[in-house]
Amino acid sequence: MHLSTAVRRGARPLKVFRRRQAASPGPAPRELSAREAEALGDELDELRRQITEDLGARDVDHIRRVIGWSRRSEAAGRFLLHVGLDPLSFAAGSGALGLSKILDNMEIGHNVLHGQYDWTGDPELDSRRLDWDITCPPEDWRYWHNYEHHTFTNILGKDRDVGYVFLRACPEQPWHPAHVLQPVAALGLALFFQWGIGAHGLRLEEVLKGNEPLSALRERARPFVRKAGWQVLKDYGFYPAIALWNAPRVAAGNFVANTARNLWAYAIIFCGHFPEGVRVYHEDEVRGETRGQWYARQIAGSANIEGGRVLHVLSGHLSHQIEHHLFPDIPASRYPEIAPRVREICARYGQPYCTSSLGRQFGSVVARLLRLSLPGPRRSSKQPASAVSSPRSATA
Amino acid sequence: MDRREFMARWKGPVETAARRLLVYRQADYWLGEFAPARSLEELRAEVVRVDNEARDVKTFALRPNAHWRGFSAGQHVSVEVEIGGVRTQRVFSLSSAPSDPLLAITVKRMPGGRVSPWLHEQARPGHIVGLSPATGRFVLPSPLPPKLLLLSGGSGITPLMSILRDLDARDAVSDVVLVHHARAGDGVIFRDDLEAIAARRTGLRLAFCLSDGDGHGRFDGARLAELVPDFAERATFLCGPHGLMERAGQMWTRAGALSGLRRESFGLPASARPPGADASDRYERRIHLGRSGRSHLVDDKANLLDELERFGERLASGCRMGICQTCTCRKRRGVVRDLTTGKTSSDRDEEIQLCISAPQSDVELDL
Repeated sequence: MHLSTAVRRGARPLKVFRRRQAASPGPAPRELSAREAEALGDELDELRRQITEDLGARDVDHIRRVIGWSRRSEAAGRFLLHVGLDPLSFAAGSGALGLSKILDNMEIGHNVLHGQYDWTGDPELDSRRLDWDITCPPEDWRYWHNYEHHTFTNILGKDRDVGYVFLRACPEQPWHPAHVLQPVAALGLALFFQWGIGAHGLRLEEVLKGNEPLSALRERARPFVRKAGWQVLKDYGFYPAIALWNAPRVAAGNFVANTARNLWAYAIIFCGHFPEGVRVYHEDEVRGETRGQWYARQIAGSANIEGGRVLHVLSGHLSHQIEHHLFPDIPASRYPEIAPRVREICARYGQPYCTSSLGRQFGSVVARLLRLSLPGPRRSSKQPASAVSSPRSATA
Repeated sequence: MDRREFMARWKGPVETAARRLLVYRQADYWLGEFAPARSLEELRAEVVRVDNEARDVKTFALRPNAHWRGFSAGQHVSVEVEIGGVRTQRVFSLSSAPSDPLLAITVKRMPGGRVSPWLHEQARPGHIVGLSPATGRFVLPSPLPPKLLLLSGGSGITPLMSILRDLDARDAVSDVVLVHHARAGDGVIFRDDLEAIAARRTGLRLAFCLSDGDGHGRFDGARLAELVPDFAERATFLCGPHGLMERAGQMWTRAGALSGLRRESFGLPASARPPGADASDRYERRIHLGRSGRSHLVDDKANLLDELERFGERLASGCRMGICQTCTCRKRRGVVRDLTTGKTSSDRDEEIQLCISAPQSDVELDL
C-alpha cells in the first residue's frame, strides 16, 4: 500500500480549525451505538492493516537513524563533559547527553518496548531485550505500561497512570487533604521523574495502605533496585571515576542531563491524558466492552500535541498520543501520516479529537493540577467543562 | 594466573557490567559504523565474491568474522539477510571445503522465494549477511569409509561438493563415485570443478544423468545399479529433491543397505492442512514447547494462548487482543495464522503473538 505524499508528510489541518479545537473541545462526545462502535472498530482495524502491510525498510531506517543520533549525542556529550573545563562545554555536554537520554527513552525505548519493531527480527530492536537509560526496569515497564495502562486506559481505579495514584488529575478522583500539597509534589515529580517512573511498578500505595506486607514490596522491588543501582553507578560512579580530576563536573553534568530529560518527559507524558477535554471512565462503564468501544475509549482518553517533526521525534511521537493509543505496537513514526485519517474518522463518528500546542496543553494540565489540589470539581469560567459524562461524577 | 585464565575469569563479569552500564551498546554502535562485518556478539560474514555456477545458480564466497567456529564438510548454515526491514533466514549447505580460506554457499534461485532471489539480485561484494554456526550430521565418518557414493539431484549437490572438496584437500579421494541428476537445460552445477578434480584424482568417477523433459533427471534404479553395481557396499551420501530421495531410499531398503545411506533433505514445506480436508473441520495440532519439552494437542481454530493455558501452561500474557506484545514468543517452526489479519507465518524463527495466532500445522515454540 502506498499512501499519498500529502498523507505521508502528515498533512496538517487548517490553522483556523486548530484554534477552534483548542478553545473548546466541541460538543460532548456522542455515545456510539453498538453498531456504530463496531463500524468504527472496523475502520480503524482496516487502517491498522494498511499500515502494517506497508511496514518495511523505511521504518527500520528511521529507528536506526534515531539510535545513531542518540549514540552520537551521548558520545559527544560525555566527551565535552570529560575533557572540557569551561562552563560553555559543560552546558553543551550536558545538553547533548540530555538529548541522547530523551531520544533513548522516548523515541527508542518507549516505542521499541511496545514491540513496535519486533517484526524486524533485529535483536537490537527486540522488545524483550532492550535496555534503556532510565531507572525503570524494562520488564516492569512492559507490564504496567504496555499491559495495564494501554489496556485499561483512563479507567479510574484500574489505570494507575491516572494521576500516578497520588496526584488528583481529574475531578472524578476523590479529594484528600494531602492534595493541598499537590503543586509541590507535582514539581518534585517533574524534577525526579525517572524515579517516579521507576517506582511506579512497586505499588507503594498497597503497602502504605496496609494491604500488603513489606516483604511483598521487597520482592517486587528487586528488578527496580538492580536497574536503578546500575543507573546510579553509571551516572554518578563509573563516568565520574574515569574522568579523574573532572569527576565533580561529570557528575554534575549527568545530573543536569537527567533532570533535563526528566522535565521534558514529564511535560510530554502529562500532556497525554491530563489536559482538559480528556475523558475518564468508571469501571462499570466499560464492562463487556467491545473492540470498537475500546478504540473509542482510547480516542476520548488521549490528547495530542501539535508541532513539527522535531517535536514528534523528541516526544517519541507521544505528541500523537491518540494514534499511539489506538495502535500502540505500530512504529510511532507512522502516526503523523495516519493522524489526518484518524481525525477524519473521529469527526465522522462524532468522537472528540483533543489536540493543541504544547504550551496550551501543558498550561491546561498545570491549571488543572493546581485547581484540583483544592476540594470539589470547581471550574473557572475560562476553562471548558471536563468532558466527563459519568453518572457517578457528582459523588467524586 | 596467566592471560587465558584471567580472560576466562573476568570476561563474563566485565561484559555484564559493560552491558548494564550501557557502554556495550556504545561500543557495538561504533563498531557497526566503522567495521560492520565485525560485531561484539553476532556471527556475520562479508560477501567477497559472487560467481555464476549454472542457470539460476550462484555461488557466494563469504568471509566470516571472528565468531565463526568452523564446520565439517556436508554441514549447513542459516544465512540471514534483511529484506524490507525484516531479518529473514534460510538454510543453505556449504559448498566449500573446511580448509578453504573463504566459506561458500551455492544458491539456486527459487521462484516465489524470498532469500534466494534477494541473494541473486541484491547481494554484492561488500554486503554483510548474518550466519548461524554450522550444524548438521550429514558429514563424513571417521575413519573414512573405503568406498563412497555421492548421489545427488539438482542443487542437492552442494553438500556433496563440500565433501568431495574436503576429500580432495585431504588427499583422500581413493574410491569415490559421484552420480548427479539434473535437467539438461539447467546444466550441471560445479561441472568444471568436478571435471578438474576427476582429471587430477583417478579415484573419482563422475556420472551425470541428464533428462530433457520434466523431472530432475529422473532417478532410475536400474540405471544406477548399472553405473554403480556395488552401490549397496558403498557408504552413500544422498541429497536431492523429495522424489529422488524417496525412490533412492526404496532402492536401498530393497537391497537391505539402508544403514549405509546418509540422507540430507531440503526444501520440504511445512505440512499445512491434510489434503481433502473441509475448511470447517477442526484439527488438532501438536504444539511442542522447545524449552520445557512439553507437547500439547490443541485446536487449530482457537488462539494458542487460550489453548496452552487450557493445558495448564503458565504464560506471560496481557491484553489478549494483540496489542500489548506481552505474550509474543519465538516460533521455531510451523505455520500459524494471525486471527486478526488472516495472514500466515510459515518461516522458521519468527516472532508471533500467542493471543492472536492459531496453529495451521504442528508448531514448535521457544517456550
